[in-house]
Amino acid sequence: MTRQAAFQPHMSAMKRRLLLSAPVLAAGLVALSRPGRAEIDLARATAFIQQAGNELVAAINDPRLDLVTRRERVAATLRRTIDIEGTGRFILGRYVRQASPAELAEYNRLFDDIIVRNLSARFGEYRGVHFSLGRSQQRTEEDVLVNTIVERPNTAAFSLDWRVSEINGQPKVVDVIAEGTSLRLTTRSEYSAVIQRNGGRVAALLDAMRNQITQLAAREGRG
Amino acid sequence: MLPTRSGLARTVLLATALLAGACATRPGDDDPEALAEFRETNDPAEPTNRAMFEVHEAVDRNVLQPVAEAYRDVIPQGIRIAIRNILGNLRTPVILANDLMQGEVSRARITLGRFMVNSTIGVLGIADVARELGVPGHTEDFGQTLAVWGVGEGPFLFVPLLGPSNPRDLVGQGVDLAINPLSYFGQGLLVDTAGWTQLGLTVVDTREALLEPIDQVRATSLDPYSTLRSAYRQRRGYEIRNEEDRGRVVGPSGVTGWGQGVTGPAGPDARVPPQ
Repeated sequence: MTRQAAFQPHMSAMKRRLLLSAPVLAAGLVALSRPGRAEIDLARATAFIQQAGNELVAAINDPRLDLVTRRERVAATLRRTIDIEGTGRFILGRYVRQASPAELAEYNRLFDDIIVRNLSARFGEYRGVHFSLGRSQQRTEEDVLVNTIVERPNTAAFSLDWRVSEINGQPKVVDVIAEGTSLRLTTRSEYSAVIQRNGGRVAALLDAMRNQITQLAAREGRG
Repeated sequence: MLPTRSGLARTVLLATALLAGACATRPGDDDPEALAEFRETNDPAEPTNRAMFEVHEAVDRNVLQPVAEAYRDVIPQGIRIAIRNILGNLRTPVILANDLMQGEVSRARITLGRFMVNSTIGVLGIADVARELGVPGHTEDFGQTLAVWGVGEGPFLFVPLLGPSNPRDLVGQGVDLAINPLSYFGQGLLVDTAGWTQLGLTVVDTREALLEPIDQVRATSLDPYSTLRSAYRQRRGYEIRNEEDRGRVVGPSGVTGWGQGVTGPAGPDARVPPQ
C-alpha cells in the first residue's frame, strides 16, 4: 500500500492521461474483477498465520505433554492450516492427468500422511521455540507471503515465509518457504525425478512414498 | 578408432565420448510438457552430474561429515562462533567489492562500517559487534554480481567437494578467490599457510553449519540429488535478489555456493537429542 502511495507522485503526465482514459479504465476494472480468483486480504492472512503459529508454539512448548501428544496436537493444527490436497496436486503437476483415479486417490492419502508426519516430526523437536512476525508481509498476484522469524534457544534464528491463499472462502497455507527455498517447488522436483527415473510410472512414486512412510513411522517409534 | 598416439588427444576423445554418452535425453517436440520441464530443470548433463553427486556423497560421508561432526564435538561453541566471525570478517573486502560492482551503495556502506567496527572493537573480527549493534551482515559474491549484470546461470553442475553449482557461480568463485586480500601480500610460507588455513576452516565451518540441513534432506527426500538441485537454484535466486533483507536473518561468514542458508553457529541442542 505504501508502495502505491510512493509511486503516485512519480507518475508521468502521460501515464496519468492514459489511466484516465475510459477504455483503459474499463479494461483495468475487468482485469481486477476476474472471477474465480479470490483475493486474500493481507491483514487477514497475517492474523491467520499468527493464530496458527501461536497454536503450534503452544503445543510444542507445553511441558505437560509427552512427545506423542505433542506431535498429535501439531498434526491437528497442520491439517487445519494447510491446503494439503491443493498442495499435493501442485506437486504432482503434469502427472495428475497421467495417474489413474485409483492412483490419484492413493497419492492424496500418502501425501497427506507424509507431509503431516514430516512437518510434525520437525516442529515437534523445536522445544523452547519462539516465533514472531517478520518485518515485511508481501502481496503477490494470487496470494500473500507472511514472513515469520523462528527462534530456538542456542540456535540461529531463521526466516520462514508462509504463502497464504484463499481456498473455498478460508485462508490456507499453500507453501512454506525456508530462507528462500520453497517446500512445494523442491518436493515437485523430487517427485518428478522419481517418476521420470522409473519409466514415467506414477506407481513407482507411490511405492517410494509408502516406503518413506514406513521409515518415518520407524523413526517416530524410536523417538 | 582414430590412429592417435598423443595422450592429450586420447584424453579429449575419451572425455568427448563420456560427455556424449552422459547427456540427458531431451524430450521430443511432440511432448511439450516434458520439454518445458526439461528446460525448467536446466540439467542437460544430469547423468554426469548424478555420477559426480555419488562421488561427492562418498567423500562427504567418509571425510567431510565426520570432520565437521568432530569439529562440533571437540571445539567449544564460543570458539566456533569466533572462528565463523573471523572468517566472515576476512570475507568482508570481497563482499564490499561485490556490493559496489552491483551498485548497492547503501549495502556497501553497511559492509564497510561492519568491517571497521568488527576489526577494531570486535578485535580482528572475533566478535560480531556490529550485529549486536543492530547492523547484521549480508553476503555477496561475484556469481551474484554476474547475475545482476545479466549473465545467465548456464546449465546446472554438480562439482564434487564444492556441491551444486553452475558455470556462472564457478567463475564467480574463481574471481572471489583472486580478489581475496590475503592473496595480495606476495608469496611465502606464512601467506600460503594463512590462505590454506582460511580455506580449510571455511570448508569445515560450512559443513558444520549444514549438518542438520543435509541430514534432513537425506532422511526425508525421495531423491536427494534433485532436492539439492532445486534448493540450490532457489536459494541462489533469493541471494541474488537480496531477499534476506526481508527477514533480517543472515549468515555472518556469508558462505555461498552450497544452496543452503548458513546462519549463526548451531548450538549443542540443535541436534536431535538421543532419547
